[in-house]
Amino acid sequence: MNPLSALRALAHPALRAEAMQPVTEKAAPKAIPFSELEKLSPGILPMPIDSNRVNAAAATGFEKAATDLVSQVAAKQAAAGESVSQLLGGQNVSLHQTMIATEEASISFQLMVEVRNKLLEAYQELMRMQV
Amino acid sequence: MINILNGIDSTSSALNAERIRMEVVSQNIANVNSTRGPDGKLKPYQRQQVVFETALKDQLKGAGLPGSEASTVRVARIESARRQPRMVYMPGHADADANGMVAMPNINIHEEMVDLMSASRAYEANLNVVKTARGMALQTLAIGKR
Repeated sequence: MNPLSALRALAHPALRAEAMQPVTEKAAPKAIPFSELEKLSPGILPMPIDSNRVNAAAATGFEKAATDLVSQVAAKQAAAGESVSQLLGGQNVSLHQTMIATEEASISFQLMVEVRNKLLEAYQELMRMQV
Repeated sequence: MINILNGIDSTSSALNAERIRMEVVSQNIANVNSTRGPDGKLKPYQRQQVVFETALKDQLKGAGLPGSEASTVRVARIESARRQPRMVYMPGHADADANGMVAMPNINIHEEMVDLMSASRAYEANLNVVKTARGMALQTLAIGKR
């Protein structure tokens, strides 16, 4: 399991699909083929990870939650932008509605940043761990 | 949709209602000398006043208890106060009657100013609710900071 896979969910959806590719494909050729490792010490090796199953679980669990968070923040920002342009366009939108919309967008963005900071912190904590 | 600022619906509706109230007061003050109606007939302006009513929105988030529906406010109607016009002796006025009396709108400017201040203070109170909700959200986000 790649420890950064959770963080990748926070990136833009288009970037995420690209980012998924190189890590898995570059890592694969360098690794010793699994069949050879199995021959060396059949008892010690862990169970091979079914990559399909892991991906499916990630897409429904945390990754989905994180993607939802990002898309909702994006939706709030889009709504705030829409509200501002409607206000400036002289449409029937009141000032306080626009301000509340922009404030909501700002706070939900900060929430997303905090979630990202926590994840990164957890990752760095893991990387510093002595084995 | 994530709900960042809880209870903001009620506050937003109240801000809207108070703004409408202020508009009605400004209309009353503006028409303090109008002796004719929009159709040009001789009919002094009548003081307008707003009537607020409670409207129920969906359940309060997180409470889920019976009776915890979020109450918003809306302007039910704007009705005219049925007052007799104020008769002023102005013989030179174009709309004076045979006795030189002019029917002026019965608007008390002091009353309107008090209404204006009341609307302004109510608006301010609701803005403070918004500010407090925002402050609470930001303080909660600060849990993650070191």
